[in-house]
Amino acid sequence: MLRKNFVLIAAAVSLVAGGLTARAQDAGALLDLLVKKRVITDQEAEEVRSELTKEVATTPAGKLKLSTPLTELEIYGDARVRYEIRNGNSGPPSTLVTNPNDAQQRNRHRYRLRLGLRGTLMDDWFFGLRLETSTSNRSTNVTFGDDAGPFGKTSDGAFIGQAYLGYKGIRDVTLTAGRIPNPFVTTPMIWDGDINPEGFSQQYKHTFNLSLGGGETVTEASGDGKNAVAAVISEPTNMTIDVFANFGQFVYDDNNPENPIGAPAVSGGRRVPENDAYMFGYQIGAKFNFTKTIYFQLAPTFYHYSGYGNDFNTFYNGGPNFRNTATPPVVVTPNQVGINSLAVFNMPAEFGFSIGELPVRLFSDFAVNLDAEDRALAAGRPDKDDQRYAYQLGVGFGRIRTKGNWAINAYYQHVEQFAVDPNLVDSDIFDSRVNMEGFAVQAGYALSDAVTFNVTYAFGEQADSTLGTGGVGDIGVNPLREYQIFQADLNFKF
Amino acid sequence: MKIRYLLIALGLAFVSTEALAEKLVIKGSDTLGAKLVPQLAEQFKSQNPGTTFDIAAEGSTTGLSAIIDGTAEIGMSSRRAKPSEMAAASSKGKNMKPIIVAYDGLGVIVNSSNPITGLTKKQVEQIFTGDVTDWSAVGGQGGKISIYTRNTSSGTYSDWKELAMKKRDYAKGSQKMAGHEQIAAEVGKNPNGVGYVGLAYMKAGGIKVVPIDGAMPSKASVLNKSWPYARPTFYYTNGEPGGLAKQFVDFTTGPAGQKIVDRVGFVPIR
Repeated sequence: MLRKNFVLIAAAVSLVAGGLTARAQDAGALLDLLVKKRVITDQEAEEVRSELTKEVATTPAGKLKLSTPLTELEIYGDARVRYEIRNGNSGPPSTLVTNPNDAQQRNRHRYRLRLGLRGTLMDDWFFGLRLETSTSNRSTNVTFGDDAGPFGKTSDGAFIGQAYLGYKGIRDVTLTAGRIPNPFVTTPMIWDGDINPEGFSQQYKHTFNLSLGGGETVTEASGDGKNAVAAVISEPTNMTIDVFANFGQFVYDDNNPENPIGAPAVSGGRRVPENDAYMFGYQIGAKFNFTKTIYFQLAPTFYHYSGYGNDFNTFYNGGPNFRNTATPPVVVTPNQVGINSLAVFNMPAEFGFSIGELPVRLFSDFAVNLDAEDRALAAGRPDKDDQRYAYQLGVGFGRIRTKGNWAINAYYQHVEQFAVDPNLVDSDIFDSRVNMEGFAVQAGYALSDAVTFNVTYAFGEQADSTLGTGGVGDIGVNPLREYQIFQADLNFKF
Repeated sequence: MKIRYLLIALGLAFVSTEALAEKLVIKGSDTLGAKLVPQLAEQFKSQNPGTTFDIAAEGSTTGLSAIIDGTAEIGMSSRRAKPSEMAAASSKGKNMKPIIVAYDGLGVIVNSSNPITGLTKKQVEQIFTGDVTDWSAVGGQGGKISIYTRNTSSGTYSDWKELAMKKRDYAKGSQKMAGHEQIAAEVGKNPNGVGYVGLAYMKAGGIKVVPIDGAMPSKASVLNKSWPYARPTFYYTNGEPGGLAKQFVDFTTGPAGQKIVDRVGFVPIR
C-alpha cells in the first residue's frame, strides 16, 4: 500500500507539473515500466491508473472529448478595440463631382473578434477553422452603434473567415484547400491582411545549411603529454537558406449559371454572364539567413487572372467618370473593380539586421502590371499607359514578442492607377485605393505578453491629378485629393 | 382461522428463505461472463450453499454502467473504465475500483480453409479498418474479406481498436456479434471470414488462429506481455468490495478461482 501511494504521489506530481491529459499517458508508460521492473504489481498499477484516470476525468480538460482521428487541437484567437478617424478630401478631375473641394470624415469606435480552431489529424492531414466578425472580405471590424438600437446586434455576427483542409505528408510540401490563409509572402500594397482567398494553394519550403568555412581550433597536448586536446578559438561561419515556393489558384468570382437558358446577353461588347473568374499566383523566393540576426528575403511573384465572373465583368476605369472617344464624347459610368488586363509582377523584399539588441529591418515592395497598356486603353485613358508601377519603401525598428517590447514601422508607398488589383489592396492605409502616394507610421507597445497597444497614422494624396483614385473605400469620394487615417488599437491575443 | 394460520406460516417460510439465500448480481463483459464467471459461480455455490447469482453478460459497458447506477455488486469488464465513466461514477458518489482477475490474449482467426499462413500487425490494421478489402492484398487467395467483430458495448470491441487498429474506426460493413463464440462460429462458416477472439475461444471448430509477425498467442506470451494483443480483464466494484462480493472476488483471485481461470483458457494472475 505504501508503495502504491508513493507511485500515486509521484505520478500525480508529474500530472501537476505538466498538462493533465498529456501527462496521463506518460504516467501510464511509467506504470508499465514499473510493472515490467517488478517494482509494483499489475494490480497496484491498475489501481494507480484508475486513480489518475479519475483525477483527469474530473478536471475541466478531462471532460473535453476529442474525436479519435484528431492528434492535436489548438484554440486561438484575438480581439481588438479600435478608435479610428478617417478623412478624405475630394479633388480633380471634378467636373462631375457634385461637391468639389468638399471632405468626408468618419470617426468610428470599432471592435473585432477572431476565434480559431486548428488541428492535425492522423496521416499528416490538418485543418483550420476561424470565425470572424464582419462580412467584409477586407475587414473584420464591427462599428459600435451602427445598427438599430441602441446597442443593436444586427452587425455583430460571426462569419466563417477561414475553413480549410490540408495535407503535409510530402516532405517540405504543404497542400491546402478551402477558404485559406494567404499563402504568399506579401505586403499591404498588394494584399490586405484580412483577406482569406478561396481555392487551393501549394507551398514548398526547404532549408539548406551551408558552411562557409572559417573557424579555428588549436590542438594542445594534455597534461600527461600523451593525448591531444582540441580547443575551439572561433566558430566556423554557417548560414542557412530557406528556399520557398508558393502557388495559389483562387476562385475570384463564381458565375452562375455559366450557360443561361436562352442566348447569353452581351453588354459593352462582352458576353454576360462570363466565365468564372480565377486568380493565379506563382511565387518562388528565398530567405538568406547570414547569421541569427542578419537576413535577406526576396519573393518574386506573378499574378494573373482568367475569366471575369458576374461582378467583375466590366472594364476597370478607376475614375469618377470618363468621356469616351466618340464624337461627341459620351460620359461612361465608371467602374472601380474590373480585373481586366492585370498581369502583375511583384517583388517584396526585406533586409534585417540588428543594432546592438535592437532589431532593424528595411523592407520594400515593387509591382508592375505587364498589361497596363490594355488596362489604360480599356479605361479610356491610353495616354496613361505608363501608370503601371507601384512601390513601397520602409524601415522598422524593434519587434513585439513579449511584455515591454516595442516596434515602429514607417514606409512610403506609391501605387499607380493601372498597377495592381484595387480589390485586394489594404483597406486602411489608403482607403482601398490606387493612384495614391504617401506614408504610413505604425507603432506598438506590448502591455503584456498578450496585450498590445498600437497607433497608426497615414497620409496619402492623389498620385496623378488627371485620374481618379480607383477602388471602393470607406470614404465616398473619388478622386481622393488627400486622405488621412488615425487608428488607436488595443489588441489582445489568446 | 385455519386460513389465517396458513398465511402466517407461509409468510414466515418466505421470510426465512429470503434471509438464508444471498444473491450476488454480476453484469458486464461477455468475455468473462460467457464461460469463466458462470463456472466460478458454480464452484463458489458448491462451497457456499444458499448463494445465488444473477449473471448478465452483455458487454463491458453494461457492467461499468451497472456499477455507476448501483444495479450490480460486480461489473465484469475486459477493458479499463473510460475517463467519462470514471467521471460519471464520481458524480454519483461511486468509486470505481478495478480488480484484475485474469489476463487474456486476443488473436486473429480465419476460416480453416483459408490458405493464409500469417499476417503482420500492419496488415491486421489494414484488414479491420477496411484499407484492405480482398484477401489477395495480404497474401491470400482472392475473395472479399468479411469482418466479424464484437458489438459496440463490448470491451473487446474497443480494446481491439486500441491494440490493433491505432484507435481507427472499423471498416464499414463489419458485422457485429454478441460474443466470442458467435464470432468463431461465423468465421467457421465463412471461407472469407476474419475475426478476433480471446484465448478461451480459439479452439472452436472450423477456424484457425493466424500467426502475427510469425508468432502465435500463448499463455506465456500474454503473461510476459510480448503478445501485442494481450490485456487484463477486470471486476469493477464500488470501492472496496464487502460481504458476498468480497468473498467472490477473493475466491476468483485465490488459488481455486485461478485454477478455473486456467482451465477455461484464460491466463491466471498468479
